Amino acid sequence: MNAVSHASSFEAPNFAATRAPLRAAQINTSVTTGVASGRVALVNVRRQALVTARLRALWVLMVFAAIAALALARISYLGFGEGSKAAWSEDAASLPNRGDIVDRNGLPLARAFPAYALWFNPHAMGEGAPLIKSPREVAEALVAIFPDENVDQLTQRLSSGKAGYLRRRILPEDANRIHALGEPALEFPRENERFYPQGSMAASVLGYVASDGHGRVGMEQVFDGPLSDPATRGSPQMLSIDARVQGAMEDELARGMQLTNAKAAAGMVLDVDTGEVVALASLPSFNPNLIDQTGASNIFNRVTNQVYELGSVMKPITIAAAIDSGVVTDMAKRYPSNRPLSIDGFEIHDDKNFGASLNVPEALIHSSNIVTAQVGDLLGGARLKSTMASLHFNERPYIELPAKGFPLWPRGDSHGNWSRITTMTVSYGHGMGITPLHLASAYAALVNGGIWRPATLRRLQPGEAPAGTRIWKAETSAKMRQLLRTIVVVGTGKHANAGGFRIGGKTGTAEIGNRAGYDKSAVIATFAAAFPMDHPRYVVLAMLERPQATAATSGQRTAAWNSAPIVGRLVPRIGPLLGVMPDNTRDIDISDIVPLIANGDGE
Amino acid sequence: MNLTRDRLHTIGWGTALAICFALTLALTFKVNAVKSEVHLANRQIAHLQQEKMFLETEFEARANQQQLKALNDTDFGYEAPTAGQYLESERQLAMLGKPAAPDAPKQIRMAENDAAGMPASMPAGMPAMVSPMTGKPVDAPAKADHAAHKPSLSQRLSRLDDVVARAVHPAGARRE
Repeated sequence: MNAVSHASSFEAPNFAATRAPLRAAQINTSVTTGVASGRVALVNVRRQALVTARLRALWVLMVFAAIAALALARISYLGFGEGSKAAWSEDAASLPNRGDIVDRNGLPLARAFPAYALWFNPHAMGEGAPLIKSPREVAEALVAIFPDENVDQLTQRLSSGKAGYLRRRILPEDANRIHALGEPALEFPRENERFYPQGSMAASVLGYVASDGHGRVGMEQVFDGPLSDPATRGSPQMLSIDARVQGAMEDELARGMQLTNAKAAAGMVLDVDTGEVVALASLPSFNPNLIDQTGASNIFNRVTNQVYELGSVMKPITIAAAIDSGVVTDMAKRYPSNRPLSIDGFEIHDDKNFGASLNVPEALIHSSNIVTAQVGDLLGGARLKSTMASLHFNERPYIELPAKGFPLWPRGDSHGNWSRITTMTVSYGHGMGITPLHLASAYAALVNGGIWRPATLRRLQPGEAPAGTRIWKAETSAKMRQLLRTIVVVGTGKHANAGGFRIGGKTGTAEIGNRAGYDKSAVIATFAAAFPMDHPRYVVLAMLERPQATAATSGQRTAAWNSAPIVGRLVPRIGPLLGVMPDNTRDIDISDIVPLIANGDGE
Repeated sequence: MNLTRDRLHTIGWGTALAICFALTLALTFKVNAVKSEVHLANRQIAHLQQEKMFLETEFEARANQQQLKALNDTDFGYEAPTAGQYLESERQLAMLGKPAAPDAPKQIRMAENDAAGMPASMPAGMPAMVSPMTGKPVDAPAKADHAAHKPSLSQRLSRLDDVVARAVHPAGARRE
């Protein structure tokens, strides 16, 4: 480099001064063609060539220097700045586009899932044929991977040359096998989708995500804000649902539905001390992964949205109100029961005649409308109404879910007072419609010492449980626990008496009311229970809509034969999962109630 | 070019500066190279995490409750255990035993952890750790020594019986 620049600088003045005359001399020589002038010209040409060569060398050098400088600049740029610039991207990569929903043990019920799709891109190889092999061969290879596809249809789509999805969701190993086919036109982009690994389980609790990316119906809608907010969607939303209990509940309800040809079923498990909903099922259900025509019609949630006249399961509430207010002080006191009660032109009667008189335990065991109506009458409309109102039977149920049914609350007279006949029908569960969730919350208050708490689907940490409001004295609750347990030990709930779990509860078979009156052949069969009765932890509710009399229910349509066995099968499955171990050596003491009961069954 | 003392100083300082600059540059490059490696590793971790989530979800979908239920219905037929299969406490466990009688099996009064020559964390009767390379126990001599001293179960039980016998018949009574 030095040599060249040295030489060029040495000759530079010469070169600059002589360049123009040289041209002229060249032209002259070519014209004159003398011998002496020819030698001069040769020297000049040589010098000229040399100069041009040096100039070119300089240019090349400058280009190389520029490239070196650029490379150096790039190295420095990479060396200094690049590492810090892209630091955010891995956070973004690990952050789902929508947060997970998990059950109380952390099992994911809904998650953002980067699923593979199979996309046909005919322009992947530029112009010309989109596929390497013939469309038919490729279609056959694809059918070997996805046996449910049709070769002819696939061939047609592959030869049409139109881009589009071949399949919306494929498994990773399928993606690998397609990759092995070596067709660049078959692409498998990863797409973020909402996925429910448990399928239709807890669908009515979860809801689904519509194509606009927002949740619908269930907790997807309730949690829509935190699930889509980048600041909070990294951590999952925890539900109070226990997936194992939920699964068992749905199994047993589906089995009960099948055995009785019921139209629908609903059920729930509620923690009596915190109000947490451990399971909530409404069947028939839908698959939130794929909302189709049949699924869309099943989205309706029967537990929180449907209002029923639940019938006899309301009797313990009336009796509890009567015990609490001192109307019933003596369990042995007998009430006439042998003839229908006639009030204001209405008649209240029982399914059958249970004898001349019944006491309160017998009335509950045989589910006597006549005796319960008398107790309700003694209690009075005002007190029964205030009890029902304090259980929030006059407003939508307390739960996060958006779909909540409004109860059918008896209007009463112009002052809102219930007439005598209204009081009496409400006392045994007619003339007032509530959702199954209302009933479950009321039963929780009935057995937990008398405190009503709102139901929740959020998992509560210890100490987070709401204080609740006291409805009944603890004394009343203790008496009701005995009575409910008695119903299962000697009464209509016998089929729910799973060994060692100390279940207590009340059956209810209510005819479905319509404009023409009550339909004798269509019933709502409910069993509301709690376990273990010596220290109640959970309320279990099972309800069948329009069950039929079948061989499996010994030709009966009543809750004693269809809903109670569901609870009897369910509790042994869920009890140990919820920390309630069966123990035949423990039970609530009902020895002061049992002697009051004459033998005999009834509904 | 004559090198005066002053000039030599200048050149020396310049060289030192140049070397320092070059070292700083090299160090900076190295730091950033490591940084970008870390970044790359992070990206790989994120990718693997996603892959893990993907597989986890697939597993959950294949082993979901409804699938397991169908499998149980067709193949296994497991039922919920009944009350008779549960034990609430040690007392219920003890109720399963037979009272001491001539033909009754000897009672196991307590679990014993023989601490002699063995780390406390390792329960008695644990198989010796075998080296995957040689196929021989890792600390064979110590183990063999210990095994020689270790009493059999029946020996331990008989020792317990001695203790019980001493408790039942105090030393004074036996001397008579």
